[in-house]
Amino acid sequence: MEPDVSIETGAMIRVAVLPVGHVPTPLLRDYAAMLLRHGSVSLSAISSFYTEHQKSPFANQPWDSGSLRFKFVIGGSPPSPWEDFQSNRKILAVVGVCHCPSSPDLDDVIEQFGVKCKGYASALVRRCFAFCPSDAQLEDGSKKDSNLKLFPPADRQTQEFHLQTMMQDVAASLLMEFEKWVLQAESAGTILKTPLDSQANFSSEELIKAKKRRLGRAQKTIGDYCLLAGSPVDANAHYQTALELARLTGDYFWYAGALEGGVCALMLDRMGHMDPELVDEVKYRYNSVIGHYRKSSIQDNAQRVSPLSFELEATLKLARFLCRRDLAKDVAELLTNAADGAKSLIDASDRLILFVEIARLYGKINYQRKAAFFSRQVAQLYLQQENRLAALSAMQVLAMTTKAYRVQSRASVSEHPLDDDVGQGSANGGKVLHQSIVSLFECQWSTLQMVVLREILLSAVRAGDPLAAWSAAARLLRSYYPLITPVGQNGLANALANSAERLPSGTRCADPALPFVRLYSFPLLSSQVDVVKRNPSREDWWMGSATSGPFIYTPFSKGDSNDSGKQEVIWIVGEPVHVLVELANPCGFDLRVDSIYLSMHSGNVDPFPVSVNLPPNSSKVITLSGIPTSVGQVTIPGCMVHCYGVVTEHLFRDVENLLLGAAQGLVLSDPFRCCGSAKLRNVSVPNISVVPQLPLLVPHIIGGDGAIILYEGEIRDVWISLSNAGTVPVEQAHISLSGKNQDSVISVAYEALRGSLPLKPGAEVTLPVTLKAWQLGLVDPDNASKSGSGITGRHHKDGNSPMLVIHYAGPLTNSGDPTANGSAVTPGRRLVVPLPVCVLQGLSFVKARLLSMEIPAHVSESSPIPAFGDGNSTKEALSSERKLERLVKIDPFRGSWGLRFLELELSNPTDVVFEISVSVQLENPIADINKAIDQDAVEYSCPKTRIDRDYSARVLIPLEHFKLPVLDDSFFLRDTHSNGASTSRSSSFSEKSAKAELNASIEKLISKIKVKWHSGRNSSGELNIKDTIQKALQSSVMDVLLPDPLTFGFRLVRDGSSDAAVPDMPMASMIQVEKTASEGCMMANEVTPMEVLVRNNTKETIRMCLSITCRDVAGENCTEGANATVLWSGVLNGITMEVPPLKETKHLFSLYFLVPGEYTLVAASVIEDANDILRARAKADSPDEPICCRGPPFHVCVMGTA
Amino acid sequence: MATTACFIIVSRNDIPIYEAEVGSAVKREDAAHLHQFILHAAQDIVQDLAWTTSAMFLKAIDRFNDLVVSVYIILNPLYLPGSRIASSHFDTKVRALARKYL
Repeated sequence: MEPDVSIETGAMIRVAVLPVGHVPTPLLRDYAAMLLRHGSVSLSAISSFYTEHQKSPFANQPWDSGSLRFKFVIGGSPPSPWEDFQSNRKILAVVGVCHCPSSPDLDDVIEQFGVKCKGYASALVRRCFAFCPSDAQLEDGSKKDSNLKLFPPADRQTQEFHLQTMMQDVAASLLMEFEKWVLQAESAGTILKTPLDSQANFSSEELIKAKKRRLGRAQKTIGDYCLLAGSPVDANAHYQTALELARLTGDYFWYAGALEGGVCALMLDRMGHMDPELVDEVKYRYNSVIGHYRKSSIQDNAQRVSPLSFELEATLKLARFLCRRDLAKDVAELLTNAADGAKSLIDASDRLILFVEIARLYGKINYQRKAAFFSRQVAQLYLQQENRLAALSAMQVLAMTTKAYRVQSRASVSEHPLDDDVGQGSANGGKVLHQSIVSLFECQWSTLQMVVLREILLSAVRAGDPLAAWSAAARLLRSYYPLITPVGQNGLANALANSAERLPSGTRCADPALPFVRLYSFPLLSSQVDVVKRNPSREDWWMGSATSGPFIYTPFSKGDSNDSGKQEVIWIVGEPVHVLVELANPCGFDLRVDSIYLSMHSGNVDPFPVSVNLPPNSSKVITLSGIPTSVGQVTIPGCMVHCYGVVTEHLFRDVENLLLGAAQGLVLSDPFRCCGSAKLRNVSVPNISVVPQLPLLVPHIIGGDGAIILYEGEIRDVWISLSNAGTVPVEQAHISLSGKNQDSVISVAYEALRGSLPLKPGAEVTLPVTLKAWQLGLVDPDNASKSGSGITGRHHKDGNSPMLVIHYAGPLTNSGDPTANGSAVTPGRRLVVPLPVCVLQGLSFVKARLLSMEIPAHVSESSPIPAFGDGNSTKEALSSERKLERLVKIDPFRGSWGLRFLELELSNPTDVVFEISVSVQLENPIADINKAIDQDAVEYSCPKTRIDRDYSARVLIPLEHFKLPVLDDSFFLRDTHSNGASTSRSSSFSEKSAKAELNASIEKLISKIKVKWHSGRNSSGELNIKDTIQKALQSSVMDVLLPDPLTFGFRLVRDGSSDAAVPDMPMASMIQVEKTASEGCMMANEVTPMEVLVRNNTKETIRMCLSITCRDVAGENCTEGANATVLWSGVLNGITMEVPPLKETKHLFSLYFLVPGEYTLVAASVIEDANDILRARAKADSPDEPICCRGPPFHVCVMGTA
Repeated sequence: MATTACFIIVSRNDIPIYEAEVGSAVKREDAAHLHQFILHAAQDIVQDLAWTTSAMFLKAIDRFNDLVVSVYIILNPLYLPGSRIASSHFDTKVRALARKYL
């Protein structure tokens, strides 16, 4: 059988092309290519070379439209035993190709050519084309044999033209030879034999039969020559005669041959114009041809030589003719029939050719699986031959099947169009995603794939192609390890190793073997070197830009991440970067990865290789790092792996798809899960861009990076040094706070940082930060309860510590890199410095309570000034010292009726000593009236209280001086409402606001009180007593804050009313009294003029009924009754008075003490027509209830007359 | 003659979802592969033929040597493309039927 046969083959003149002398292979290929262009020479072109010696037998030759066709057989071929049967099988011409520079002796060339031509007895024309002759050769050659044609050196076009002319000459010569042959055959006849006839040579019967058949066979052969001469009409005429004769003599084989020639003539006549009629005609006739060949082979069944190959060839010819997509069914049927014939073929090479042709034809109608099937049959036939060249052929044929079986090497696949579909699918929804994943794994006939790969491996090993063997073993191992036994896996590993030994080191292969590599995580920059995009139009340039920081969620980045769907990562030139990948070795042998590094096609990152050992069935997460070298985008498609002596690229995307397939059950096994690794994680490579060098601040807390241990409330300065470790100066910097307990950072020296800008590379700046430790109990109730026992534990938690967030940036554009995009602004950075504060429990509150102290005042000449000075005594100029004195010490003459203290009981569970000092910051109560005098708040301090360790102590805080100067409705009305006393107008809103007002005033009060502590040499802080005080004051805040509506005072009157005009001047006299009568005592048996002062603290006039009582030590009223010991003049009871708002009224009276001793004077009054404010202040229950006001008791010390 | 057969269910997207070598002949690995190779290749014929006929059973549509390929084209609307038939019950049934009729 012959390859590549078609119906038109019958009309082709076979020309052997032989190299003569030494012709270098590329040149031979080049010369042959030039020749091959002249596969068809038109008859019109050869007329100039043609001379009609006799009358041409080709009477109907189409000189204007016909042509001669050549089939060049490079290297020649041995004569076919069937060349008598089909003349096109004869080598009718020999063309020698000579390269003159390598064959200097032309005589030698001619001789060699002559020798070569001897093998081709059938050749009618012989020519030797000698290319590139030297001048000497040209001169020499022209005298030589006319068959030697020299092609003088010229340009390509000229040479081609020359060759064309030569071929036309050859064609004309051939045509003349054909005429000669036909004329001779017609006149003298010819003996034509086929191998079918040879055996019956000696049978006389057969001889007679052969004689009968000779004529028909001669006609058939003349028809063949007519076809070769390009004259289909003549050919047809001869074939018709031949058919008749063959039919008569029962020469079915030749009958079929003539029939076949007839179809060829028909085709030639139609000049390739295909129409359905022609197709039907050809189909019909060829089926007949096939039928007759079959008939002849049945007839000659007994013979050793079978004409089966002609039947198969005819089948293939018809199939090739019909080979169109729409006739695929017919073609497939023909090819199936042809394939059936294979097992009857005796010659293995015939079978090979048959399968090759079948595979090619199936491929032409796009039956790729069929084509692959027969290609594999071809490969198996090659492999049976067990030699290197056959194995090489097998390997090449199998390589062609890999596409159909979906096991192709990645080297043969340029792109992955399906992968894009997957990307789109994931965006469109689950169903689409599933389908596109399915399409990734379609045609996964794993059994077949393994067989094919194994055969490729076998043939590659046999053919001595280590790279192909490595690639096949890699594909087999990587894709089908779950189906391969551990022994088989080991075998493949050995195959990989053996192949690698034959390969030069550093060989690359497109197909990865092991391990499986997937992206594990993409570590973001740590909070220390975080990069923030800069918005140059804003002062706070870091706002609104998503950071690559440690926080998963930021409100700014949320919207962005949804839009882009991909993270953005910024790398900085010169700063090392890390990527975590997970490797898996699901096979049963130890895997040694010689080196693995990130594959970065962008070329602006230098990756660092690492080597890894993977035990059987194990996975490992490793860190791959690199250093960005230049600005630009970075893509990381996968890793480069040097394993088993070959460098391969492992793409993350492939493994991603594989894992997706595994998740859908489409792939046999998930290599990571079978190694015990965690579930599928969706990690995608973010968009990475490399930016120019940035400044890099490195923080350092002076005094050690350990925790800053503070007691609750402790205030301490911490120094943080920042040094610029980058290569670019810091030009902008801004500090903000973040995290919990931000208010524990009292101050940060922003100016120190700002003042140090620009911070040059290598420069350092130190920032003082003042910290105040927070309350443990308030922040962390768990810890507080644990430490309640008094054991001081360290409760350092990062989560509780505040953080300094420093946004800083270098110059806006990096001047060092002019290629950088002008619009691109170099990003800034963010440094997060956690302040590692560890708060220890300090002093703890045991309880807080409000105490009231009742010490009566002594009646003296001085005016008993109410806690908040007189409104009308504006001229009074009290020194702050005096006030201070009054606050902290109780004036024995004035008393401290209703003075309130906040008592804090503190315990010290720590092992150090604390000293407590209380200070009250007090605004001057008359500041608003007398601003010129007391503008600043005055601070009063109490003596320090020391609390030893494991002891408790109480601290008193006086609350007296917070009283408001005026009792009016501004505060009070709302308070009434809030109490809900007698009003139905109360609304929730006013209640709320009233409450808020109340709380605000309490808070105001509290803020004035500061309880500070010291411990040791440098620990000091402040107790947070806010809540405690608030709790203690909540119930009695009115009493603390609000003045009584009326205040009462008693005074001695020496000189009538003169004192009253200047109430606070008589200090001298008072002192005098004190001197003469110790402690300002009065003398018995003397008329002592006194006055009672009633001050109205409200803004409305109050009418009242005042009464004064005097009691002795026993508490008996001593002005009334029979045993009265005190006589009086003036009115003491039922004094009706009217006190204008914020004024005071005096009432004069005199007492005469009969008995020396201690007396108490008390003034009380019943307010008439009390308004709401007064009622509310008195907490009256009913509107009819009389409102009484009682003054504090005043002591009177009466001395006996000496 | 020893009968041997290979039964394969192929889903759309050309994914074999069930495979069974049945029959009385001694099982040879090569043969099993050949069966699968033939069935795989026959799909080219089936995919063209399926559109030209309404029949669900396509008898002897392809052959190689003595091996004949027949195909049922059926449709399961509840099938999730790509999923494999892993039911051992189904496998047992198929083999039982094969013993009965082959």
